[in-house]
Amino acid sequence: MGLEEIRIVAFTVEMALLATALVLVPGVAAAFFLARYRGPGKGALDTVLSLPLVLPPTVVGFLLLELLGRNRPLGAWLAQHGIEIVFTWKAVVLATAVMSFPLLVRSARTAFEEVDPRLVGLARTLGAGPFAAFFRVALPLAWRGVLAGAVLAFSRALGEFGATIMIAGNIPGRTQTLALAIFHDVQVGRDDRAVGLAAVTVGLAFAALWTTEWIAVRRRLRRDET
Amino acid sequence: MTAPAVEIDLTLSAPGFVLRVATRIPNGVTAVMGPSGAGKTSLLEAMAGLRRGVRGRLVLGSQVALDSARGINLAPERRRVGYVPQDAGLFPHLSVLGNVRFGARADAAAVDAAIDTLEIRPLLARSTLALSGGERQRVALARALATQPRLLLLDEPMAALDPGLRDRVLPWLLRVRDEWALPCLYVTHNVGEALAVASHMVVLDNGGLEAEGDPRSLLSAPVVVGEAQAGIENILSARIVAHDATGGTTRVRTDAGLDVSVTLAADRPVGAPVTLAVRAEDVLVCGAPAFPEGISARNVYPSSIVMLERTGPDVTLRGSLGEDRGELLARVTPAAVTALSLAVGKTVWLAIKSHSIRLG
Repeated sequence: MGLEEIRIVAFTVEMALLATALVLVPGVAAAFFLARYRGPGKGALDTVLSLPLVLPPTVVGFLLLELLGRNRPLGAWLAQHGIEIVFTWKAVVLATAVMSFPLLVRSARTAFEEVDPRLVGLARTLGAGPFAAFFRVALPLAWRGVLAGAVLAFSRALGEFGATIMIAGNIPGRTQTLALAIFHDVQVGRDDRAVGLAAVTVGLAFAALWTTEWIAVRRRLRRDET
Repeated sequence: MTAPAVEIDLTLSAPGFVLRVATRIPNGVTAVMGPSGAGKTSLLEAMAGLRRGVRGRLVLGSQVALDSARGINLAPERRRVGYVPQDAGLFPHLSVLGNVRFGARADAAAVDAAIDTLEIRPLLARSTLALSGGERQRVALARALATQPRLLLLDEPMAALDPGLRDRVLPWLLRVRDEWALPCLYVTHNVGEALAVASHMVVLDNGGLEAEGDPRSLLSAPVVVGEAQAGIENILSARIVAHDATGGTTRVRTDAGLDVSVTLAADRPVGAPVTLAVRAEDVLVCGAPAFPEGISARNVYPSSIVMLERTGPDVTLRGSLGEDRGELLARVTPAAVTALSLAVGKTVWLAIKSHSIRLG
């Protein structure tokens, strides 16, 4: 593997890390909210947040393009302020973040649902405000699920293709991630390089899944102890 | 009765359930009794601020915690109400010390005082998963006390389990009552515990307050009678006075000054506090005027009957031991009442075998 391939791998990992960081706070907040909230509109919100799981990724990418394209209101406004998203690395982060978001939310939400809400209430009676109760009780009790969700989101971001190619294109050296590079290589007949990059991708996926599995097993063991 | 420490006028509604309680709670321990589903836990949660849809008024000392008419509803963290739920509710991710310190990180003195009252210093480094039921309750009680609450709420520690006496929370609650001056609501199913610890009692049933007052005056309230079927116990706090190894007995003196002989408990040092439990049906009643000679029971006390109430199929007799030495509850059959012509005001002998006394 040459320098260019190493760059592609590094770029992909970097984009995936940024996307995970981007979804972490809103994802955990949404997960906690969905785990606790019992009022109207919960079903609708749940559906909207899960949409990227079921929509074709190209449709998600297309919607993002419709939102952020230069001739669209938001995209034009951003462009006026010197923020270019479409066909830049920012588009890669955004597309992979949107696709990863529901995975983090699902895992973290299950973890928060397993936290006894009465413990959070008790923390309140002991003088902790809502935020302190969250950070000192709910999050420490759910952190394995949150971490597993973050690893899942990271894995999804590593391999995202459809939404990314729609909004970020496939520009070598600028927006080309592993998945996009493999597609490109096969298109132009460079199967040998595609095989190498695919092997790296498989390795990364294995590592991420093993991490998730390891966290899940530890979580199960912990639960069995109690 | 001292000035009301807590003023309650609360209405809780949930689908298919309404509870309205209006009362004043004095300082000291108030026992809360009532059948399952009467809303005892809901009342405590409402007072702690953990339930939605609670209307009315709640005043803790000088602090208005809730006043729907004036739009006041303090968040739980601002009410300073110490709440110990049925299962103790310890935080599993924290050590015992982490739990006790949770609400009072800045106030080391209060944490220390709570640890000492509940004698949990040897447990501090442990995981909460490695505690017995009674230990969990003590830790939860210490955790609540460390926040220096205005009101303490205890929900029926280990209701149906009938744990060993040593694992009961009651002796610790007595210490908290005596060392920390604060009002406390104590939900319990155990009539003997309510009598031993509480100076006031409220009885909940049918969505409201069924009765309230001195616990001893409520023994014939239907709910209390129902709970008493499960067994009434005399519970006395006492100290070891001396051991008599040859006689096989240990002498203890209750806080009320009653000398009691129990089976030898040489492992308890002289002066150590103990809790005595005697089931009311294990207290013998002798109607003869003279001291009952020639019986094996070691503890025989003259007593005048101050109450005789039908509690279910039996009759519960409350005898005053005189000179402020306290009272004992005995359970007799209606037939015995007739045969011994028992009546309020009559003097009888109450006798307890050493073996009938359990030490905690």
